[in-house]
Amino acid sequence: MRRRYALWMVLFLLTVCWMMPTGIVNADGDKQLIFDDANLLSSEERNELNAMANKYGAERETDFMILTVDRVENVSVKQWTEDFYDEYAPGYDKPHGNTAILTIVMDSNDVHLEGYYKAEKYLDPGRLDKIRSKITPALSRGDYKQAFEKYIKTAHRYMGFEPDRNPDNILFNIWFQLGTAAAIGAVAIGIMAYRSGGRVTVNSRTYADDSTSGILDQQDRYIRTTVTKRKIERNTGSGSGGGSGGGVTRGGHSHSSSSGKF
Amino acid sequence: MPVIEYKCPNCGSSMVFDGDTGKLTCPSCGRTDNIEEIPDPLKQQVFIEDEVKEYHCTSCGAVLVTEPETSATTCSFCGSAVVLSDRLSGELAPAMVIPFSITKEEAIQAFKKWCRNGLLTPSDFMTADRIKGITGMYVPFWLYDLHNRVEVHGHGTKVSTYTRGDYEYTETQHFDIYRKIRLNYVKVPIDASEKMNDEVMDKLEPFPYQQLKDFKTPYLAGYIAEKYSYNDEQLYPRAKDKIQSFIDSYISSAVSGYTTVNFTHKQIDTTLKQADYVLLPVWMVHYDYNKMEHTFAMNGQTGKVVGKPPISKAKVAAWFAGISGVSLLSLKLISWTMGGGFL
Ligand SMILES: [Zn+2]
Ligand SMILES: [Zn+2]
Repeated sequence: MRRRYALWMVLFLLTVCWMMPTGIVNADGDKQLIFDDANLLSSEERNELNAMANKYGAERETDFMILTVDRVENVSVKQWTEDFYDEYAPGYDKPHGNTAILTIVMDSNDVHLEGYYKAEKYLDPGRLDKIRSKITPALSRGDYKQAFEKYIKTAHRYMGFEPDRNPDNILFNIWFQLGTAAAIGAVAIGIMAYRSGGRVTVNSRTYADDSTSGILDQQDRYIRTTVTKRKIERNTGSGSGGGSGGGVTRGGHSHSSSSGKF
Repeated sequence: MPVIEYKCPNCGSSMVFDGDTGKLTCPSCGRTDNIEEIPDPLKQQVFIEDEVKEYHCTSCGAVLVTEPETSATTCSFCGSAVVLSDRLSGELAPAMVIPFSITKEEAIQAFKKWCRNGLLTPSDFMTADRIKGITGMYVPFWLYDLHNRVEVHGHGTKVSTYTRGDYEYTETQHFDIYRKIRLNYVKVPIDASEKMNDEVMDKLEPFPYQQLKDFKTPYLAGYIAEKYSYNDEQLYPRAKDKIQSFIDSYISSAVSGYTTVNFTHKQIDTTLKQADYVLLPVWMVHYDYNKMEHTFAMNGQTGKVVGKPPISKAKVAAWFAGISGVSLLSLKLISWTMGGGFL
């Protein structure tokens, strides 16, 4: 008997351990992924974020890059980011490889995201839009470090889901899963405890005399019909007047993108 | 003498009712008598209207120590089964009885089996080796026949939705509802003993009414029996209360097909057709665990056990971990098949 319960315990603990994020020990020699030309971060913050981008990027085989500039001359932020990709040739797996780029332009309050190769597939315009709307409030507040952390973590998390799934589906949420599992357990225990003392096994039919009972008279009189109408909300895109989609760089690299203002 | 005892015509021992055979049985020589055939001494007796203060065992002459409700018991000195007939006659005469069909040994076995099946019961409780006492008791019940005339008026709606272009339309049809229902309930049992916990007695139901027999005192031989503490009038409100939920569920089943139903007027006229005084068989099991006495009741016909067993914290924890763990694993699998990744 005891052994069986012990087994359940072990199984439960194993499941819990399994789900804890596995820490990946980071060696030195991180590559530079943060280019903070607008000086939004202190050097400690920059190092911290760079280490974080390297660590999370390795798990998704993608370089999570952050570019900040004061202004871009004569080109759109999209064009500017595409040119950066062509010239700098970033990529986790190879030059011009898997890369996600967040570009911040301070003068024009531009926030722009692009995904290349694996990141194009896993961070489609829809997911980039979601990331953008998640980090925009922090950017507006001037809390750049928090915004950048959120960008790295969210991009990392979203890339764990197959394309064309909703990564924010509540079923995928670990806290939802833990909460639901605990609730099921608690309800089951409650029912077991409640029923342990015996339960009522008579119902409304047990003592009814069907032969003499019944409906003697009934009326269902129609009075009127009322109709209400409601306009159906059509989905009109998200973000603060931003646009999303994709494109191809002058060097011929296809990507997804999302841009807006903060 | 208001004390009845069944002496074996063969050997003179005290005979008792045997639930297995349904006959009056002599434990010494094994003689059995068919209860339907022997004359009930209760019917031949004439009582003086005096409150009897003391009862004496007809076998040994000792004073029978009884509670004021007791109508059948065993002599604490010689063990003879005795029936106090003045507490079973006149107003106190039961109309019917359901005799025990589960014997003491079967009751103990059934109780042990029930303990073993307890999912949250501590393991050392499950062995059920500390039964302190088990008593077969005929508990007084009133069986009510209640006839009801129900009239309800209400307002019902049927709702449907559809879309046309950019608009979602909700169409609600309104109805006036009227129902006139005859609803008769027979033999609704209400326990009439002050001692017995009403909730526990309710859970012991249902009693198999096909086993109801015309009352005869030999059925009580060897068991404890009690007379009612409350009469049928006093318990009538409880009976009405008990069928209230039955009536409500019948009414709602009579107005199906609506999205919502609101009753504006509900009239229930209940008339009491009959109330029969019956004795129903219950085994009371007293059990010692952790210096606490737990009491369980068992239906003397069906073997159904009612009562709060102790709950083991370790088992609660184990079950919780097991069920939650499996649920979590299933949720993980679902999210994985939906493309959400396993971690
Ligand atoms: Zn005998
Ligand atoms: Zn005696």
